[in-house]
Parts: sequence; C-alpha cells; structure tokens
Amino acid sequence: MMLGALLGIPLVGAILLWRAGGRVATTLHALTAGLTLVAAVAVTVEVNRGEVLMALDGFLRADALSAWMISLIGIVGALAASEAPRYLAHTTPARFYPLFHLFVFTMLLAVSTDDVGLMWVAVEGTTLASVFLVNFERTRASLEASYKYLLICSVGIAIAFLGTVLVYFAGIQQFGDEAHALRWTTLLPLAPGLAPRVIELAFVFLVVGYGTKAGLAPMHTWLPDAHSEAPAPVSALMSGVLLSVGVYAILRFKPAVDLAAGPGFARGILLALGLLSVAVAAAFLWTSPNYKRMLAYSSVEHIGLVCLGLGFGGALGTAGALLHIANHALAKSVVFLLAGRIRIAYGSAEIAAVGGLMRRMPRTGAPFLAAMLALVGLPPFGLFVSEVMIFAAGFTQGFPGVAGVALVLLVFAFAGLLRGAHAILYGTPPREPAAEVPGWRPVLPVAAALLLLVLTGLAWPPGLTDALDRVVAIVVP
Amino acid sequence: MTTASNLLAFLGLVVTLLIVWRQSWPARLRLFVAQSLLLAALASTIGVLAHRRGLLLVAAVFVVVKGWVIPRVLARIGSGAPVRRVAPGRSSGIVLLGAGGLVVAAYVIMLPVTSAVELPTEGAIPLAFAMALIGLGLCVTGRDALGHILGFLVFENGIFGLAILATYGLPGIVEAGVFLDVLVIVLIMEAVVVQVRREHDSIDVDRLRELRG
Repeated sequence: MMLGALLGIPLVGAILLWRAGGRVATTLHALTAGLTLVAAVAVTVEVNRGEVLMALDGFLRADALSAWMISLIGIVGALAASEAPRYLAHTTPARFYPLFHLFVFTMLLAVSTDDVGLMWVAVEGTTLASVFLVNFERTRASLEASYKYLLICSVGIAIAFLGTVLVYFAGIQQFGDEAHALRWTTLLPLAPGLAPRVIELAFVFLVVGYGTKAGLAPMHTWLPDAHSEAPAPVSALMSGVLLSVGVYAILRFKPAVDLAAGPGFARGILLALGLLSVAVAAAFLWTSPNYKRMLAYSSVEHIGLVCLGLGFGGALGTAGALLHIANHALAKSVVFLLAGRIRIAYGSAEIAAVGGLMRRMPRTGAPFLAAMLALVGLPPFGLFVSEVMIFAAGFTQGFPGVAGVALVLLVFAFAGLLRGAHAILYGTPPREPAAEVPGWRPVLPVAAALLLLVLTGLAWPPGLTDALDRVVAIVVP
Repeated sequence: MTTASNLLAFLGLVVTLLIVWRQSWPARLRLFVAQSLLLAALASTIGVLAHRRGLLLVAAVFVVVKGWVIPRVLARIGSGAPVRRVAPGRSSGIVLLGAGGLVVAAYVIMLPVTSAVELPTEGAIPLAFAMALIGLGLCVTGRDALGHILGFLVFENGIFGLAILATYGLPGIVEAGVFLDVLVIVLIMEAVVVQVRREHDSIDVDRLRELRG
C-alpha cells in the first residue's frame, strides 16, 4: 500500500502534468514533489521500525537498503523540484515537469523491487526518461551530450542485461521453478551453490553495465557532457541520485557474488575501478575549463570513493560507502542547483567568465562556498566523516597500499576543486552578473540540505546508526 | 534440437559477418532483418522442441518489433542520409579479420557457461555471444549515427539469442520490458538523429565534437 503510493504519486503526477500548463502545472508539480517526499519519508520510517514492505505478491519490496535509497531520492527530488520553476522562468517549460517526475518514478522503481529483471527495466527507464531532459535547451552541445548519453548508457545497460541473463542462467540450474528465480529473496539463499565461474563472468558484465550508469571510469565518458549540459535541477538529480542508483544495482549483486565466488573477486574489481575513477577525476578536476564539468568530474571522484569503500568491505567500509552516497547526494545536488543560478546570472558556464561571486551574489556565493568545502571533505560536513570511515576501513582491512594511493589522489582532487571554487568565488568578474534573486526563499532548501550535511558530520540524528546497521546487514550477510 | 539450434545460430553469425562486410546501408538493413528472422526462428524452434509455449509468443513479438517496426524506423532515419562513399583505405578484409577474432574471443569468454551445464543448445551459445560482440564492435567503431544504432541492435539481438539458448526464455515481464525498451531507444534515436541532421546537415559523428575536456 505504502509502496504503491510512493510509486503511484510521481507516476500519476507525470501523467497529469503531460497536458497541464501555466500556473496549474507549477502547482501540480509542487504537489507531486511534496507528496513524493512525504511518501518516501513514510516508507523509510516504516521500514526502520523493522518491517519489510511488500506489494504485488512480493514483486515490489522495500528493505532497509531500498529505504536508504528511497529517502535519498525523495530528498534530492524535492530539492531539485524546488529549483525547477525558477529555472523554467527563463525558458519554455514544454514537457519538463512530466519528464522530471517520470525520471523520479523510474529511479524509485529501480530501488524498490525484488525482481532483478524489473530493476534492469527501471534502470534503463531512467535513461529514457532523462534523455530529453538533458537535451532540454536544444543547443548543439546539449544535443551532442544527449546523443552520447543515450548511446553509451543503452550499450552499458545492455551489457548489464547480459549479466542478468547469466545470473538467471546460474539460478535456474540450482532452482527448478523459474517464476521466482529472478528475485533477490530466492537468489540469495541459493547463492553459495551457484556456479562460481558463471557468477564471476556475470558480475564483470554487471559492473561494466551498471558501472556505466554509475559513472565509474573508464565508462564515465557520457557523464561530464550530460551533467554539464542538462538543466540545473536535472544535473542535481543525475549527480545526486542517478549515479547512486547504478551503485545500488551493483551493491545488490555483491552479496550473491561474495557467497558464490568468495569475497576476493568482487573486491578486486571494485577497488580497481574505484581507484581508476578517483585518478581520472583528480586529473580532470585540474583541467576542466567549465565549472559544471568540474562538478561532474567531482561526482566521478566520489563514486570512485564509494566503490573503494565497498571494496574494502567489512561493516566499516560498507557503512562508510553508504553514508558517503547520502552525503554526496546532498552536497552535490546543492552545488549543481547553485551552479545553475550562477550560470543564469553570468550567462556562461566557463570558470573564466565568472568571478567575485561572494561580493556580487552573496546569497548564492556563501552556500556555494559551504557546499564546496563539504565536497572536498572538510569538517564539519558529513563527507569528512564518511571519507574517514572509508579510509579507516582500507587501512584496517589490510589494504594500506590502495588506501594510501587513493589518499594522495584525493589531495590532488581537493586542490583542483578548490582552485576552481576560488576562481569563481573571489576576484573581479570579467562582466557583471545579472542581479541576484531577492529575498531568502531561494536559500531555504539549500540551507536545509547543508544543515542535514552538518548533522551527518557532527551529531547523527537519532535512528541513523540503526538505519545504517540495518543496511550493512543486508550488504554484508 | 542441437542440430537445429547450432544451424540457426551459425546462420545468424554468418549474416552478422555479412553486415560487417557490406557497406551499403540498404543491404545492411536487409541483413539485419534476416538476422532478426533467424533469431525468431531459433526462439520458436526451441519453444516447440522444449515445450515452451511462451517462447512462441516471444518469437512472434520479436518478428513484429525487430523484423518489421524497427527496420521501418531505421529505413526512415536512413532515407535522408547521403549515399556513403566507400572510404578509401578501409578494407573490409581487416574488419572481417577483427570480427573473426571476436568469434574466437566469444568462445573463450563463454567457456565458464558452456562447461557449467549439459544443455542440448550449449554449442550455439558462443555463436550467439559472438554476434553480440560483433554488434558491440560495430557500435563502437561506427562512424555515423546509423552505424551506431545498427551495431547496438545487432548487439541486442545477440544477447537475445544468448538468453534464449541459455535459459529457454526469460520471465515474461523482463522480455516485455526489453522489447519496449529497444523500441523506445530506437524511436528516441530517431528524434535525436533528426535534430542532429537539422543542426549539422549530416549524421557523421565526426561533427559532434563540441564537448571536450
């Protein structure tokens, strides 16, 4: 019932919005986003009372890991939705709202099903729902970005399908009744008996496939284009939660692979891809002339860190990785929303065209500075805590080499990102920006997200430890 | 069943290699239709011999979607494209050799799968995977949007063949999702390609080079 509401609200909202226009559309959009957030919080609370929510004969199922993702999608979705009307004031809103909510719906569906096949369909659905959003401004650059996005992610997801087929193949060898052989709940108890070589092969395809969607190097090439060309609210959603949905898919398969093939196999792949992602991002953070691209590469870096945490494993590494997903979702969506405002005010996304943000637009500059400091992993923000957890896991689980190299790369990335932020925040602008939107209302959602980040950094709200423990228990059986 | 599946998968691979070899777009499109029909035949053969009624339905939908609807859309996309000159220096021989290498690779990569079980269809599994790999190769090396889409579809066909051979058909909801998905991808591709052609007056991907760094 609750799950039905969670998925039904954005879907119905999208359908109604298809024909709506003007003020009706804005109101309906706000209502849909608000109700989605309420439903997401309700599901999270219910699941963390110790219940597993199910619907449609177990086809839809939300456990603690699903709830973790659902609450993130709800929060980031609401944050991005609050920015959408402001963004659309500068352009024509054709089809933006319905596609936005359809995009949210596909992400929610991907994380709240028990069926491996349906999850695959939903993850592919995220690409299809968002490709027109990436090309929303219909410029040459955005067209190219959406073409690359569609092609690369479709190929990637087809590779993940190959992996899914192989998992199913291994599953039906063990299990006669095929009706449920693609369910996590049937697959996991069987996992120790699955043919290890087949599962290893399947995991390689799954990591390449879903890793494309997660933006892991070397499959990340669509990401900087799509993130930089998409409208700000869409960039926030993509960077904040879409990438994490890709990680989620890998995360769901990991326990099965660990049980079937031993823990070393998945760990090796995740550590290698994680390290490569951090390295690629660290290099491009220095060379990117465009601040939205710079932020996109910062996402590659953070997804790489998440993979490292999952690779180091153990309760600490896994908890760190999951917390990092949440922290990054909050920080990056805030930064992308602010970057959108900067781009509208200065009329350019080039770093060289922007300057003196702190003086000219203090209500945008101050939260931008705070979110950038959060992104580079400084206290008091949550990313500091989750990064400490990830690296502590690396050193204690016996991977001091990998953790050490990653730390050095992180310092490079840190400096590159701060250099970009400094150029934007201080100095004299080449041309004067348009006047900042007056009043404090635009600041509120951003400030709320930053406050949450301080909470995960300084004082964990009640229930967070329990929620994290529950999720870790699912990933590390 | 072994003979039938081996024969059909082998023919499918031959058609795939012909797609690699031919350079004219209408010919490649016809070959793609032939490949789709062969795979549908494969699905129905397994459906009959292994008593899977569902596979017959899947084969029927496959014929409609990949043998009729998608080729029509592709023909529409291609109709505005100028006839591609055969690029000098591009010999089909070398490309075919690469495709041959992919066939060998397919056998090696699929070893864990074929050695895991005794299936009457196992001999054909690497052939289907080879189709997928060659499709992936076509997609990655394609020099215009049509080449990309065709490569992707061949890739998708190969995976479909592999799924049929290894599992005798996936659960209905997944099959339905896959069909819908491929159809929507091709339709979106059409919309994007139409816009690319309007903007750049060509569908050569060499023109798409604004985003760097």
